[in-house]
Amino acid sequence: MSLLSDPGDKSAVRGVGIGLRAAHYRDFLDSQPRTGWLEVHSENYFGDGGYDLHVLEQVRSRYPVSLHGVALSIGSVDGLREGHLSKLKRLVERIDPALVSEHLCWAAIGPRHFNDLLPLPYTRQALDQVVSHVSQVQDTLRRRILVENVSSYLQFRASEMSEFAFLAEVAKRSGCGVLLDVNNVYVNSVNHGFDPQQALLEIPVESVAEIHLAGHSETGDLLIDDHGSRVAPPVWNLYEAACRRFGPVPALIEWDTALPPLNVLLGEAAIAARLSEATHA
Amino acid sequence: MRELSALQARFGAGLEVAGSQAAAPDIFHGESGQVASRFAIYRGNARANAARALAAAYPVVGKIVGGEFFSGLAREYESRFPSVSGDLNEYGESFAAFLAVFAPAQDIPYLADVARLEWRVHRAYYAADAKPFDPARLSSVPAEKQLHLIPKLHPACSLLQSEFPLARIWEVHREAHQGEFEVDFSLGPAGVLVYRPRFRVEVRRIGDAEAAFLAAARGGETLDAALTAAHSLDVSFDLGRSLGEWIGSCVIVDFTLNGG
Repeated sequence: MSLLSDPGDKSAVRGVGIGLRAAHYRDFLDSQPRTGWLEVHSENYFGDGGYDLHVLEQVRSRYPVSLHGVALSIGSVDGLREGHLSKLKRLVERIDPALVSEHLCWAAIGPRHFNDLLPLPYTRQALDQVVSHVSQVQDTLRRRILVENVSSYLQFRASEMSEFAFLAEVAKRSGCGVLLDVNNVYVNSVNHGFDPQQALLEIPVESVAEIHLAGHSETGDLLIDDHGSRVAPPVWNLYEAACRRFGPVPALIEWDTALPPLNVLLGEAAIAARLSEATHA
Repeated sequence: MRELSALQARFGAGLEVAGSQAAAPDIFHGESGQVASRFAIYRGNARANAARALAAAYPVVGKIVGGEFFSGLAREYESRFPSVSGDLNEYGESFAAFLAVFAPAQDIPYLADVARLEWRVHRAYYAADAKPFDPARLSSVPAEKQLHLIPKLHPACSLLQSEFPLARIWEVHREAHQGEFEVDFSLGPAGVLVYRPRFRVEVRRIGDAEAAFLAAARGGETLDAALTAAHSLDVSFDLGRSLGEWIGSCVIVDFTLNGG
């Protein structure tokens, strides 16, 4: 069976998908580009109505859809924001997505929201907090969510365990799945100086339910996770290692800045599908 | 320092400091110069994300003042009204109020009004959907009861008043605008109607009688009362023609009968 799943199957994500951005709406309304599934940023569809939701509903009738949150801030020391969570719940009920995910990070403190994916100190206290928030989200949505590792430029002195041991523990204790961003693993391995292959070994095999792939840029000694280019060769290598370890997990091509024509994204997805197929042949 | 609350407070306080040379918190691994330059990336991201959201909500203000000046406005605005929502489409609500008092923006007297209009347009885009009203349904209401109907406006609809020809200023600065760039400032004060027939938000100038009618409808008044309000300003206000036009453009999307 091809890894590009039958577009008629709308219930589950399989094979390789791409992130749907507004610049490509027209492509998906006018035709049915061949892709396994689509992922969108949940917050872009938090409105009461309007064009974006209309497009998402159209697309949802033809593809499995994953809702990927970027701003719930499950790592905040403050409680989750009820308004944000209830908008997410409303969207989940409206779209009936195949997957719902969020990031292992924080973004808000007090009334302020930084609208960014800020790194956490990997302490036992932060772990308790994240586990409690993930459980609250899963109870509210009445479904399992996936939690994704983020890229980072700094590491807290206070950390008591590695990022990946922390993520594994979040999954174990909350029952959530892991959305493994292979590009972020690579970016962090360069920024913080660790072996990315070893990092994969810290993640339990059965917990990974989705893989993200994206491009990054380089500035001095630092890699920036800007999702603005093709997947880099060392990230493809790491993806192959991930395919060997985690099996045929659905994968996604993310592209957010300097968005190219849809065909470029579909080309990247085809590469990912080939690599995954070769691993599991 | 190990407490999550203290670490996040330090991180957050560092993000609020203006300027890339500001000291970064000493809560991170690495030598201070490297930590400072890496921390500046987070500071830049927060600022850039807010600025991008503001530019997306206020394209006409951006076009009027130009990119460089707008960037300055965005920085100043963010320092006074930072983002408080995880949904960046909600960022920028106070921009008109900010422009109304921010000294460097006073050279363009209509700028704050343009921002007020753009915020309505921006939020109308995300407003709830409503089905068009089928005029045939009116015929089922007995003639003597028709003036007791209460018109219901589309959730995306809103009304503004300005002492400037706001709808025209908005129109000529739009990306898609072609043709004359002329704005006749002698037109005087006017009402502006923001509405969304389906998914595209429209803006148009409306007369005083139309504005009075729609304001009454928005306030839950009957057709009868709204008509009286309109006629008090303009006896030639034509109810049938206006209703037809507003139903056709989804300004009015339903009618309810008083008391049931």
